[in-house]
Parts: sequence; C-alpha cells; structure tokens
Amino acid sequence: MKRHLPALSWPRLDDAPIQVACPFCDALQEAPRLPEGDAAHCCRCGEMLYQNRPRSLARATAFSSAALIFMVLVHLFPSITVTAGSVRRELTILEAAAAMYREGNPLVALGAVFFTVIAPLILVGGLLYVAAPLRFGIALPGAKSVTRWFQLCEPWSMLEVFLLGILVALLKLGAVGEIHLGVGLWALAGLVFCTAAAMAGIDRLELWDRLEIALHKKS
Amino acid sequence: MEIRSAAAQGLASCHLCGKVSPVALGTCPRCHRALHLRKPRSLERTWCFLLAAIALYFPANLMPIMVVGGIGGPESDTIMSGVVNFWRKGDLLVAAIIFAASILIPILKMLALIWLCLAASGRTHASPKNLARLYHLTELVGRWSMVDVFVVAILVALVQVGALSTVLPGPAILSFAAVVVLTMFAAMSFDPRLLWDRHTGADLSDTHE
Repeated sequence: MKRHLPALSWPRLDDAPIQVACPFCDALQEAPRLPEGDAAHCCRCGEMLYQNRPRSLARATAFSSAALIFMVLVHLFPSITVTAGSVRRELTILEAAAAMYREGNPLVALGAVFFTVIAPLILVGGLLYVAAPLRFGIALPGAKSVTRWFQLCEPWSMLEVFLLGILVALLKLGAVGEIHLGVGLWALAGLVFCTAAAMAGIDRLELWDRLEIALHKKS
Repeated sequence: MEIRSAAAQGLASCHLCGKVSPVALGTCPRCHRALHLRKPRSLERTWCFLLAAIALYFPANLMPIMVVGGIGGPESDTIMSGVVNFWRKGDLLVAAIIFAASILIPILKMLALIWLCLAASGRTHASPKNLARLYHLTELVGRWSMVDVFVVAILVALVQVGALSTVLPGPAILSFAAVVVLTMFAAMSFDPRLLWDRHTGADLSDTHE
C-alpha cells in the first residue's frame, strides 16, 4: 500500500525494495530505501543510481516558479545596453537571435531561439506543471507526456552557456561605446541558478514513482 | 554476491522513467515508452553523427566565423585567429576560454567518442570504469562549445553602430553550431552499457533491437 514511512524514501506504489538496473553498467540490484539526503550507488561501477532529495517537490515547485518569473524579466529587460553617440543598442536573447536572422543565418537563429528560449521554457514550465500538483497527489492531464518532454529538453537548455557568452562578448566589445549592464543580465543569472536548483531538486525515479501513485489514484 | 546484468535476465530499464520491467512486454508499463535492452543501433548511430561532425569540423575552423567591418575595411576572423588576437592583446583569460570551448573541447570530445566506440566494439582495451568517467566528461562538457555561437550572435546584435564598425556572422558559424549539435547527438546515442557488456563478455548481439 501507499504507506509513507516518515523520513524514509518517497512513497511508492508497492513496498518492495526498489529494483534498479544501473544506467551505466546494467547491473541489476535491489536498492535500499533511503533516509532523506542519502544517495544509492551502483554496487559494480559506483555510478549514482538515485538520491532521496530532501523536500524534493517543494524545492522543484519553488525554484521552477522563481525561474519562470526570472524568465519574464529576461525577455522584458535588456542585459547589455551600448550607447555610442546617438546610437543605442539593447541586447535581449530574442534580439541576438533576430540579428542572426537578419544577417542571413536563419538556421543558427532558430537554433539559438530553441536552446535559449524554447527548451528552458519547456524544462521549467513542464517541471512546474508536474511537480506543483504532485504536492497534493494530483496529476494534471498529460502529466506523463509533459514529463517526457521536459526530460528530453534538459540537455538542450543552454542558458548558462549563453550567460558565459555574454561575459565573453563584454570582454570582446572593448571600446565601441558606453556599456551598461541591465536588469536582464541579473535576471538571467537568477534564471540559470533557479533552473539548475529546480532540476537538482527532484530525482527522476522519485518523480516517476510519485506520478505513478497519482495516476493510479485517478483511475 | 554475483552481480548479474539486467539484460541477462531479460529485464530492461526504461530510458525515460527508469523502471525495470521484462523486455518481452515491449513497452514500459509505467510510461508506455518502447523498452530496449540497449539503445537501438547505438554504435552505428554514434559513428554516423561522429563522422558528420568530423566532416563539418574543417569548414568550421577554416572559414571565418566573424567579419568585422571597420575603418580599415572588413576583416575576417576564424576561431583560431580570434584566439591569437586576444592572446596578443593580453587578454589571456578570454583567449583561454575561447580556445578551450571552441577548439579543445570539440576535438577532445570527438577523440573520446571515437575511443569509446572502438572500446565498445572490442578493438581497444581499457577499464570500463575509466571509460565511463570519460563518457561522463564528454556529456558534461560538450554543450559549452556553443558559447562561440552565442558570442557571435551577441556581437552581431550589439555592434551595428552606424558606419563606424559592424560585426557580421561568417560562413563558419553554421557548421560550427552543427558540429556542437552533432557531437551532442553522438554522445546521446552512445550506450555506455556496451562497455560493460564487452568487459563481462556478455553477448547481446542478437538482442540489440
């Protein structure tokens, strides 16, 4: 039954020990249920199998909603403003992609939009859509495919790379004019931090176990 | 205790949700994705993505990635000449970042994947633990190569200040972005469990589908 032992692992559909195959060496093993904060490692290759993260759903919900707010700020306010005489240029993520598009690189522009706008949005929005209702044991319609989509998008979300790109570009700009760092840059830093914290908040196995229970209750 | 692989007992862990179930079911009972003992045609796919990435690596490095228009006429920069310029100006840190992200990482990543593929097909021998470490590294570090593409995009957006100076993207940018994406695909389609299969002598050649 769905008994939840206090501070010992997350609730599961059945009480049997977790049977896992290591994603790296495929060793089949029965893994223990863990106190909060502990991790289980593969008995053959030492790879981390899963981790019982403390207050996982609360963290995932909190950080992903914070990330969504930062995301709005990132798109509203420019990260860098360059002023040279009467000419003023403002940089947002979309502006950088649009410039690529205008200069005859539509494919690179599309890629940039996907890596820095669409994939992060699916990642953060999807996590919030699944994790927030799961706190109350509810799975919203389509939760399974949403989980699949945001898991697929994870490696393609490259906001932290874009942030490094801004720093390198700042050093490269040199003396083109007066450079101002704007709200967008700090919001981007916040977004990168919150996205990483939200993804680190919950283990994949735990998310699916909880999702399974919620779906089981519904049917 | 003898350690057995899940595949030897006809069990597959789902790529998506990690649940272990008999491969005979066909789809995962929890998330309904197709079950495979190993990633289907892992080595063939990895080689394909790798070869495409290697082919595109040459135009990415030989053609200009950025064209800077100034008072002295347009001046085009390849990735390497950009690094050299920074080095000469004394910006050692920037030069190091760009050199690492745009030249070193792609090359090392492709070499690492070639080695992993050879090891998985049994042509070289190394301890699977070290190989797994290498695989982790290639997965972790690969995406950072995209930084050069973003830098060019940001400069193009910012430096259009009148007729004084302009920055235009060069023809190499597309192939460079493609190299990064292709090596990421190659790393994703590689199945590290093949290394352990080779190590333990398990023959799954007829069950790879």
